[in-house]
Amino acid sequence: MKRISALILLNLAVSLLLSGCWSRRELNDLAIAVAAGVDKVGDRYRLSVQVAIPGQVASKKAGSSQAPATLYTAEGDTLFEAARRMTQISPRKIYFPHLRVFLIGESMARQGIAEILDFLLRDHEFRTDFFLVVTRGVTAEETLKIMTPLETIPANKLFNSLQTAAKAWSPSKAVTLDELINDLIKEGKHPVLTGLEISGDRNIGQTKENILNIYTPSQLQYSGLAVFKLDKLIGWLDEKDSRGYRFLIGEVKSSVGFERCKNQGKVVLEILKTNTKTKGKIVDSRPEMDIKVYVEANVASVECRGLDLTKPETITELETRMEEKVTGLLESVIAKVQKEYKVDIFGFGEVLRRSHPRVWAKMKEDWNEYYFPNLKTHIQVDYTIRRNGTTGNSFLNELKE
Amino acid sequence: MRYRRKSNQFTNKTQASAKEPPSPAKPESSSSDILNCNLKANLQQIKKMLGNSTDIIIREVPVSGSKEPSIAVIYTDGLADPKEINNSIMRPISSISEGYKDGSSCSSPLDGQHLLDDITSGLKDFSEVQDYTSLLHDLLSGDTILIFEGLNKGISVSTPGWKDRGVTETSAENVVRGPREAFSESIRTNTALVRRKIKDPDLRLETQQIGRRTQTNVSIMFIQGIANEKIVQEVRDRLAVIDVDGILESGYIEEIIQDKTLTPFPTIYNTERPDVVAAELLEGKVVILVDGTPFVLVVPALFVSFLHAAEDYYQRADISSFLRMLRYLSIFISLLAPSLYVAISTFHQEMLPTQLLFGLASQREQIPFPAFVEALLMELTFEILREAGVRLPKNIGSAISIVGTLVIGQAAVEAGIISAAMVIVVATTAISSFVLPSFNMSIAFRMLRFPLMLLAGSFGLFGIFIGVTTLILHLCSLRSFGIPYMAPFAPLIPDGQKDAIIRLPHWLLLTRPRIINKKNMTRRKSTPPEKSRE
Repeated sequence: MKRISALILLNLAVSLLLSGCWSRRELNDLAIAVAAGVDKVGDRYRLSVQVAIPGQVASKKAGSSQAPATLYTAEGDTLFEAARRMTQISPRKIYFPHLRVFLIGESMARQGIAEILDFLLRDHEFRTDFFLVVTRGVTAEETLKIMTPLETIPANKLFNSLQTAAKAWSPSKAVTLDELINDLIKEGKHPVLTGLEISGDRNIGQTKENILNIYTPSQLQYSGLAVFKLDKLIGWLDEKDSRGYRFLIGEVKSSVGFERCKNQGKVVLEILKTNTKTKGKIVDSRPEMDIKVYVEANVASVECRGLDLTKPETITELETRMEEKVTGLLESVIAKVQKEYKVDIFGFGEVLRRSHPRVWAKMKEDWNEYYFPNLKTHIQVDYTIRRNGTTGNSFLNELKE
Repeated sequence: MRYRRKSNQFTNKTQASAKEPPSPAKPESSSSDILNCNLKANLQQIKKMLGNSTDIIIREVPVSGSKEPSIAVIYTDGLADPKEINNSIMRPISSISEGYKDGSSCSSPLDGQHLLDDITSGLKDFSEVQDYTSLLHDLLSGDTILIFEGLNKGISVSTPGWKDRGVTETSAENVVRGPREAFSESIRTNTALVRRKIKDPDLRLETQQIGRRTQTNVSIMFIQGIANEKIVQEVRDRLAVIDVDGILESGYIEEIIQDKTLTPFPTIYNTERPDVVAAELLEGKVVILVDGTPFVLVVPALFVSFLHAAEDYYQRADISSFLRMLRYLSIFISLLAPSLYVAISTFHQEMLPTQLLFGLASQREQIPFPAFVEALLMELTFEILREAGVRLPKNIGSAISIVGTLVIGQAAVEAGIISAAMVIVVATTAISSFVLPSFNMSIAFRMLRFPLMLLAGSFGLFGIFIGVTTLILHLCSLRSFGIPYMAPFAPLIPDGQKDAIIRLPHWLLLTRPRIINKKNMTRRKSTPPEKSRE
């Protein structure tokens, strides 16, 4: 009896080892993809993958001759096919979980991105924490060829600079895959993505020369927001409008604004905290939006004379003028989108759906065509200046000619 | 002639009187085992039993001028103290024999009993022996045996004279704060060390000889009223059935009496510290002392006691709580670090932060082996180094560390056989495993590392999960003398948590561990110290 049970145990143990190491991949069998881009070439997808070369990235020896990353490109009828075709040129199988950014070429974005998003969501190798970006006026493939200083891997530079720009400077919006898909399936909201441009000379940007000097001839730069109608790109918001957009959806964490003084010069204010509340209401069977924006700011710099910051009246006046300015900014972006794009990227429909679901059910068919372009908005900004920074009145007041 | 006849008569009488009380255990062997009245026959029998061993000294001393020897002094050279024998045995005998010589004219009867009384009146520590078995046992334990012509019993005088190492500093369980003394090889010294700490009349000591040939003294020590009577009886029972020819270390006893043999975990605690033993006695545990070793066994042993150091109770409660948590963390590191590294770097690379992944991947670029083989190589090398360090004489021990750091730390990495990250993992594991105060517990975890690494190498985190689950189930199934090994975690005893992962201040530890004995649990009055001072 004991022998039999021992034999059974032994067999079980051996069978464990036989199946063992299934799906095992050593670190040096991985081609770690850090950025990917899709463009459309006719009917086919062209997938470009930027693969980091760990030895070059983490090497202790400075000035190695090889580039920190390499680009593999393959075409296919489907994205998955293109990804697998890549093994023909790549010595290792591409490993996607560490993808930082996924670039969508502008031409591709105009034709619709929904089909490729399903692949990204379904495949187990993709984590959903990478940022999606639309390349503006350039293909995704070309963007991935630009060398970047400071961050040796361009993908890392793209990821980090989008993250910091979204935090400290408001026009960029860091969108991850799950957020994008959420926006897509919401009835009363349409997605936006940040745009990416190549500034300067692209041809130099693709060579090592780009990072040899202190001056970098060609840079990857985020600019504006891409407006989508469902999954199709229909236009762009410039920097000012992008800021207004992010104010409206309450995403601004920190930013900078200024106001002109009475005499020449400007007062610069650092925004510390914002809070936006949007409420929908029905007036005369027409929807209206109440938007309350609360902004908290510090005085960051005073570039004019004769401003007495020690007086409360000055602060109050400054606050009032800033309130007007922000209101103007918000109104202009709403007006622009209402007029030009006729697509509700602010999620006003979503707000209405939550507060008045029955009304929304009737309106949703004509929301983008009729109700949204004619939507009345009441914007109320509450701008508070908290502190003056490390000094009181500006020394500029004391300057005498 | 006259004497002999007389003494014969005398012995007949005593034999008759000796038969009146019930005779000892084996009546059929008693005829050959019991000493007879003839000195020569007795000596012959002893010599026969000991096979003329050269370290057995037999001195025959004639008394009262007679040429025939009438007293024999027997002792083991080296075990008995010759000075002591001269002073307290030989000298009185010679003076007595002088006296008898003087009185020979008075024809005073020379009977053995008289002589015995005369001699023993000057002795401090002696006992009577009546059979060969106990005579030989005493003789081989270092006592000096005196047998008399015409008397069917002898006396054994305690004359310990062997070299004892004495009470020295602890070598295995060091503390920053706390007593420095450690047990030594002599059981008498050891019991004295405990008695000095607990001056309680209820402290009981029961001694028996175990080992057919070594006849090793094994003592059970417990505090009557605090210790669980059932556990004490269980210890007695388990010790009683031991039948081996030799007990050379408490490890022999530990292996024979432990509950479950198929486990890497020790279910009996051992210590060389008298203060630990005293603390365990006060918690109601039973202590087994074995002659010839400074390591004393404590039962029942709980898993948590292996993670507690003596110092935990001497340092402030917050310090010791922190140190204990550190130890719990270290078990997990020493058990899991290499397997986690193997699992994550071969199966779950997505779990690593990107920068770290690049770092690890660049180190692994040139490594020819899979991570699992790499880990196995390094861990084995470390275990070999550690073992070599233990066995080497102290003055060449430093060579090991040089070889270790050079070979493992540098050369292997530079040669591209091992990645630098693996060296860090192995080193962390090694250091963590040394944090455990108990050697046999830390080696248990070190052994279990290897199957876990195998599981990690074949199934990744899933394998580790299976392994750790099995391990926890196994730990929960263990019992030490009927007490659940994982108490107070499984079964969960809320009161026991006061002294498990953390240690509360002494004035909050009001009760003894409930799991050991439910009776007499109160340790102290339940007033906090500030109040009791008011």
